[in-house]
Parts: sequence; C-alpha cells; structure tokens
Amino acid sequence: MSREESAAQERLREAAAARIRAARPELADAHDLTSAEGLIAVRARIAEEAAAPEHLAAVVVGRFDLASWARATCEFALGLGPEQAAAWRRSFTRTVFLAGNPDNLRERFSFAHFADDGSAAWTGPGPAADSAGLRRLLKLFDGPRPLPVRADTVVEVPPRAGRRPDRPPVHRELHIAASGCRVSDALVHLNHLLAEAVLDGLIRPGDTLTIRHVPRLTGLTDHFAALRVDTDPTLPGRLRAAAGLTEEALLVPHHRP
Amino acid sequence: MTTLPLERPRARARAERRERVLLAPITVTPSKPLTPSHLKGLLWTDVMYRATRELADVTFRSSQTTYHPTEQTLGFWEFLDRTHGDREYAECSEEEIGELYVAFRAEGTRAPAEALRPYADAVEHGWVHPASRRVLGLWSGHYAGLGLHDPGLLAHQPPGLGLDETIAWLSALGLCVDLREVGGPVHLDTTRFGLPLRQIVTADGRPNYLACALRELMPLTADFDEVVLLYDRELGPDHQQLAHVLALLGPRVRRVPIGRVPIDGRVRSARHGGWQDNHAGALLASARAGYAEPVVRLGMRLYFIATLGPGQAQSFDPALVRQCLKRAERLLAAAADTDPSDDLAERLARHRKDHVYVDPYRLTSSLLGRRGPVPGHDLLSAVFL
Repeated sequence: MSREESAAQERLREAAAARIRAARPELADAHDLTSAEGLIAVRARIAEEAAAPEHLAAVVVGRFDLASWARATCEFALGLGPEQAAAWRRSFTRTVFLAGNPDNLRERFSFAHFADDGSAAWTGPGPAADSAGLRRLLKLFDGPRPLPVRADTVVEVPPRAGRRPDRPPVHRELHIAASGCRVSDALVHLNHLLAEAVLDGLIRPGDTLTIRHVPRLTGLTDHFAALRVDTDPTLPGRLRAAAGLTEEALLVPHHRP
Repeated sequence: MTTLPLERPRARARAERRERVLLAPITVTPSKPLTPSHLKGLLWTDVMYRATRELADVTFRSSQTTYHPTEQTLGFWEFLDRTHGDREYAECSEEEIGELYVAFRAEGTRAPAEALRPYADAVEHGWVHPASRRVLGLWSGHYAGLGLHDPGLLAHQPPGLGLDETIAWLSALGLCVDLREVGGPVHLDTTRFGLPLRQIVTADGRPNYLACALRELMPLTADFDEVVLLYDRELGPDHQQLAHVLALLGPRVRRVPIGRVPIDGRVRSARHGGWQDNHAGALLASARAGYAEPVVRLGMRLYFIATLGPGQAQSFDPALVRQCLKRAERLLAAAADTDPSDDLAERLARHRKDHVYVDPYRLTSSLLGRRGPVPGHDLLSAVFL
C-alpha cells in the first residue's frame, strides 16, 4: 500500500469509528477502533444485534427517484424529535426499504413523512413491532440493477416555514460511488449518510445538495464532512467510501435570500 | 274479452334486459391427463355455463393461449426439447406426456429466462409445443365425450393486452408496484384493500398465472355486468386480489372456489403423477363400457357436482361413480315431457341467490330430490347431456 493509500484507509477507519462512537459510545470504548480488527469486531457485534433490532424506520418506495427520495430523507430526519432521533441513532439509523405505493397505505398506516411526489413514505423510527403489519403486507424493495450514472442533480432541502434558520444555508455535494453499486445498495448507503448528517447538524433546512455520481470516491476523502464507509468488495481487508458528503462547497449556485 | 296470460314478472323482467355474464374458469396446464379434480372443475363450469345461458348472455372465456406463458408450461416445453430432442408426440398418450411432466417437475432446476424467451415469443404468435398440442387434442375428445362446451382448446386466443400494457393499466389504477426500471419485479398492489403485495412478474421478466389472468380479464370485464371466477380453492388469495382489480373496472365479480378431489384422502398436485385408472380417459372408457352416452354425461355430473359438492372432504370413489351412473339411467328413463308454459328459465332462475349465474351445485342436487317433480327432458338436454 502506498503512503496515500494508507492515509486514505486511515481516514476511512476514522470515519467508521466516528460513526460507532456517535451511535454507541460504550461499544467504541470496548474496542480498539483504530485498527481494522477492532472495527471488524464491532461490526460483528452490531450484526448480532441486527437479528433483534431495537429501533427501525420503514421506508415504502413506490418509484425510485433518487433526487426526490434524497430530499425527502433529509426532511424526514429533520422532522424527528430529539428522543426519537437518539433512539434511532443508537440502532445505527436502521431502516427497512419496502416496495409499495404510499397512496394505497395512507388510510391503514400512519406515516411520519411522505415524499412531495408521493413516491415514498416513512414510518417514524420505533420498535420493530410497530412496523410489523406494514412489513407483512409489503415486500422488501428489490433493485438489483446497477445505479445509473446520471448528470449532477441539485436538491434543495426545503426551508422550515416561519422559522429563522439557525445558520445560513450551505451547499454541499453528495457523492455516490456507482461502481459495483446496485440501486438497493445506493438507498442503504445514502440513507445512513443523509440521516446521520441531519442528526449531526451537517444538513439543515434550506441547504442545497448536489448529487454527483462517480465511479469511485478515489482520492477525495479529505474533502468530506461525512463518509459512508463500507468494506472494499475487490480488495480484501480494505475499506472504501461508498458515499460522501463534502465540506461546504465554495460556490453556492443559487443562494436563498 | 281477452284473457291475460299468467303473470311471470320475474322471468319477463330478465327476458327484457338480459344481463351479460363472463365465466372465467382457471385453465388446466396441457401437460398431463385430466385428473378427477380437473374434471370436477370442468363439469362444474359447464353446468354453470349451459344453465346460465338460458337466462343471460354468457361468454365462456377459457383460453389456453393466455396461460402458456407461465413458467410451468414454458419450462416443460424447454425441458422436453432439451432432454428429448426430436421426439414424436402425435402418437403419445396423455399418461406418457404426463410422465414426462412428472420428470420435468422432479428435475427441480429452473431454466434461465433466456432459455424460455423463444418459447414465450412463439406463444404470442400462436405456437404450441407438439406435446401440449397432442394433450389438447386428446382433451378435445374427452370434452366431446362428456358433452362439455369446448371454449377453444386448440384455438389461438391471445389475451387482449400485452404484458407491458397490463402493467401500464395497473399502474394507472395505482394497483401495481413496478420495479422493472431498477431491475426488480412487478407486484400487484391491492394493499388498499388490506391484501398483501403479490409478485406477478419476476425480476428477470417471467410472468406468473396471475399476470396472465390480468392480461386476459382486464380488457374484457368492462363489457360485462357480472364476472364469475372459478378456481381451485387453494388459489383463493390470488383470486381475491384479482376480483378486487376487476371490480374496479365496473362489473360485479363473483368468486366460486371449487374444492379438489382427494385420492385416498390426499389432495395431490398433478406434478407428482398418480392419475392411473382415474383420469378422464380411463373413467370415460369404463363408464362407456356399461352405459349409453347420455347416461355417462349425466352420471358424471351427478357425481362430480351433486355428490362431491363444493368442498373437498370426500375422496374419489369409483363405487359412488357407478351409483351415480345407475341413478342417471333411472332419471333419464323417468324424465318428463314438460308443459311448454313451465318456463325453463324460470326453473333455472330458482338456483341462484343475488347473482346472475346459476349455482351448479344447487341445480344438480335438485335432480336428486326424492320429492318434487321429475326433471324435464328440456332441462336435462339443455344443461346436463
């Protein structure tokens, strides 16, 4: 491994460790998160817990529209109360993606949020039993096709009506590594990245995100405020960035007055 | 002074405005002999068709073409060509082809979608594999022997909608989750009625029989006042969904589940075989050895409809079939010439509830009543012979 590669791996390990520390400080204390082995041990612990998840959100997806879904994901996370957000964070913002038409479910289930175009709906994070009925009725969202690489798309997180923003809106880029990434994987990666960025205050109402599809986030990891870290599918024992949210972009293309 | 004829308000009201009824029974895959369960469904539907025809404009839609694109049929054809090559089927018996079907199901492997595609495409252009063509030809003979209306076993009767069009119709009605764009499956979505999502097309593009039924029935139903779905009891959940979809297009939809016929206490799928001696050909041959054709036709209806009933509690019993044949012989011998003023439509109309179709079980059972008038020749020949 070259010096640059080692530095990038180090940066990815730090990002992975920071995520664990934010969600479960006690797990972070019990393991050495500076080593790949420590991270793997924590992942195994978390995987064991996944069999009996504490808090999860369910997202019903009727039609896949990345921009609409990403905006709505931010809105959903921004709408969570502090206790709900904390409980969800402790479960690593666990989320189940279900195939379904939100419109057909409005009367039978209560949703915390709907995408503007009706393409997706979110249940508030809660114990798995809360969404058991919905999960029984629907099927897991199955999107095995590779994520299509599209031109950059600008997404605005709607400002909160009647409330002064607590900081000026910012513009960030949301990078997703499309190589080897199925649509289903992209949903998982971006969901964690966006939800946790909202809970960390990196994304606020009124902010702008430019979604950029790139084959791989090579050499860019320095400029990111948040990273979604995954194991590298082709290089055993290494990590890679599946998605990332940049530091504030210098140029804000359309600044909201 | 003129005498007014006796009032028959009910029959007349019906006669003035004949309702349009669509009978849509599930079809049998042409890959094996007709088992007692299949016979029961066929006879049940036939009596319903012929009786209801006296009261309403009835369309009997049962297209083999529609259901050929299902995996069990295409997979069987692909299996035959892959494992038996240029075998000649024109002289094969149903049992021989059925044995090949059992071997296909036992193979247990699923041919890749690409291997089935030429077969699926050929079906759309009217092609039928020679093995299934042979089976359908033999079935036509059984239909004729049993006096069953042939809804076009050997005809090319493509459904009114293509698969893509069907999905577009469903999407427009908010009744489907179409994940093809992301490489996923298509689900029928009747969750608004509290029913679970049901996959109708796999991620690699294979439609199931429910998708085929929708292709056929969605474009047809708007022309009818009542649509009657007849199906095996275990397919109830799918038909509940189908009924909801069709009802949204206008007609009243009636579901008529028909219980299967257990053999020695067990309801077995035809994929395992086990039809020796009790498939349609064998049953017909043994009945014809002792009885005239009208007796065989009526006797089979008495057994498979009135005796077995809508449920599936009784196992197939050849002794009871023989009893029914004897009973049929006596009924035919005693049948009365009916007074022309005793309207057949009115007599048939008694065997229904709030639906237009005539209930085959109630009607056929009425022949066995110890009290009441002897059945007339007109009823027997219109419906049972």
